[in-house]
Amino acid sequence: MSAAFSGASRGLGIELYRGSMAYFTEVNRQGGVHGRPIRILGYDDGYQPNAAVQNTLKLMLEDDVFLLFNYVGTPTVTRVLPLLKKYERLHFTLFFPFTGAQPHRELPYGPLAVNLRASYRQETRGLVDHFVDIGRARVAVFYQADAYGRSGWVGVREALSARGLRMAGEATYSRGTKFTESLDRQVAILQEAKPDVIISIGAYEACAAFIRDARKAGLDVPIANVSFVGSESLLALLQSASAADRRDYTTNLVNSQVVPSYEHTAAPVVREYRALMERHAPTPPAGFGTDYTPLPYSFVSLEGFLNAKLLVEVLTRLGPEPDRARLRTVVASLTNIELGMGAPVGFSADNNQGSDAIFYTTVRDGRFVPVTDWSEWRR
Amino acid sequence: MRIARLFQKTMFGIFLLFGIIALSTSALCVYTVDRQLSTEYVANSRTIAQTIANSSLDIILNRDLSTLQSLIDQFRELQGIRYIYIVDEHGDWLAHTFVPGIPKEILEGDRSPDGTVERRLPGFGEFVEVASPILDGIAGSVHVGMDKGLIALKIQTAIGQQIYLISIIFIVSIVGAYFLVNLAAHPITQLGGYTRMLAAPDAPTTLTADDARRLLERDDEVGQLARIARHLAHRAETPDSRP
Repeated sequence: MSAAFSGASRGLGIELYRGSMAYFTEVNRQGGVHGRPIRILGYDDGYQPNAAVQNTLKLMLEDDVFLLFNYVGTPTVTRVLPLLKKYERLHFTLFFPFTGAQPHRELPYGPLAVNLRASYRQETRGLVDHFVDIGRARVAVFYQADAYGRSGWVGVREALSARGLRMAGEATYSRGTKFTESLDRQVAILQEAKPDVIISIGAYEACAAFIRDARKAGLDVPIANVSFVGSESLLALLQSASAADRRDYTTNLVNSQVVPSYEHTAAPVVREYRALMERHAPTPPAGFGTDYTPLPYSFVSLEGFLNAKLLVEVLTRLGPEPDRARLRTVVASLTNIELGMGAPVGFSADNNQGSDAIFYTTVRDGRFVPVTDWSEWRR
Repeated sequence: MRIARLFQKTMFGIFLLFGIIALSTSALCVYTVDRQLSTEYVANSRTIAQTIANSSLDIILNRDLSTLQSLIDQFRELQGIRYIYIVDEHGDWLAHTFVPGIPKEILEGDRSPDGTVERRLPGFGEFVEVASPILDGIAGSVHVGMDKGLIALKIQTAIGQQIYLISIIFIVSIVGAYFLVNLAAHPITQLGGYTRMLAAPDAPTTLTADDARRLLERDDEVGQLARIARHLAHRAETPDSRP
């Protein structure tokens, strides 16, 4: 695993790791898969592409891991994909990257990766459709100036185009922007565009800073974030800023998610997730997160948990003599797997994305809850 | 006192000479570095724009703009390249590297698919922008902005290094000149003292008998002048020698 365990997006890498470790620890406690324990060898890339490439080379050529798992981020994954192509003869597969971008869902790199989550195109399309349906047709985009941001930007543009609309405006920020930085210039650019809604394609620190500065500037239209943002980390930052500034920065927010709410305890998988997170209290990867407070539950760690659960299913079906070359065949045979994502998960030879499920959430009483009625944002 | 003036004139000459050298070489340096760097950067930018244009065709046709963004982000890391943007054949944006947004001057300005333009973008700086068409322009164009500020910085660095070198040479030259001027001035001072001693033998002097003897034994022009002075003094003192 190569992910951000340090820097402005470390919450994503650490929580994804923790969620997976909660499940793997339980599996290992019960004897592992065909008697073999599962171990995550995690390297920090700080959400930087070059570091991700170096980590991947190390994992593949020096550590000789069995497979690549839980990579975080589009700019990192898009740079790693050509490596997998280069070493295709070694049959490495990237399982469940934490990104909804297209390159690892389509040729030529699609066959080298297996995705569980829905794509950014699906998330942004859903957001655009919902907002346009309630009369908010002037859609602006605030996005990270890299492959991730572009992926979401394309999703919004295509969704608007399908409805005969164009983007009202756009503003960007640099990857790694901290919450303490000012995003007034981006706010000013988007204010000029007079949007009905803003869709953010970013990471939690920058997106929280943007929401704070937008609200301060009087830009109070709904702001939507996609699943990568790290909803709980975003909310925690906004709540701390709200307390400091004595104003509420958590209203008019809509976050799309690719996993169900961890508050939805009626779902067996959510109960299992919560129980194992409590039982094993997974820590951040060794050497990281010393000044990070782990979240009890989060959408990101739930996604890590589901990734681990599905991976164990794959490894179980692979048999007692695991062979990398057979991984894709085994994945393609997975159909109608009840993972607890609202609909069965399945793959085929032509489809390397297991789930299309999107869940929309908003903040109520200091936590993210499902959106049940979009009309409250009707224009 | 005469020696000090002589030294001052020599020093002034050295200052003047080095001033002229410093100014002329700096001017030449500015001209040469500016011209060479500008040519080199424009050529590099054109190569980069063409490389992106050639390698992005498949990506654009497959509508995989996140990979396209990843591609231009890598080129953006090259020194001197401040921005890159790609538009399609209709002028619609496909990818760019601007933060916090696309400057109005570019949004509303000329985005010719070929050629070179100079741009002044408030808040960003001054740039030379090179464009290259994708598939002869029918699939769009790539635009690469080169930072002119970097060229100015390189010129300043080159001039700074040159002035540093000239300053060292100047200091060494001053020390050397001081030594050489003293070497030449010392016997002249002695000659002056000797002639004053001949003119007024009773007047106080710092010149010793040994100094006077060594002066008269010198085989250079100073020694000759001392001997001539002594000869003239003797003739002046001998009545038979008067005409």
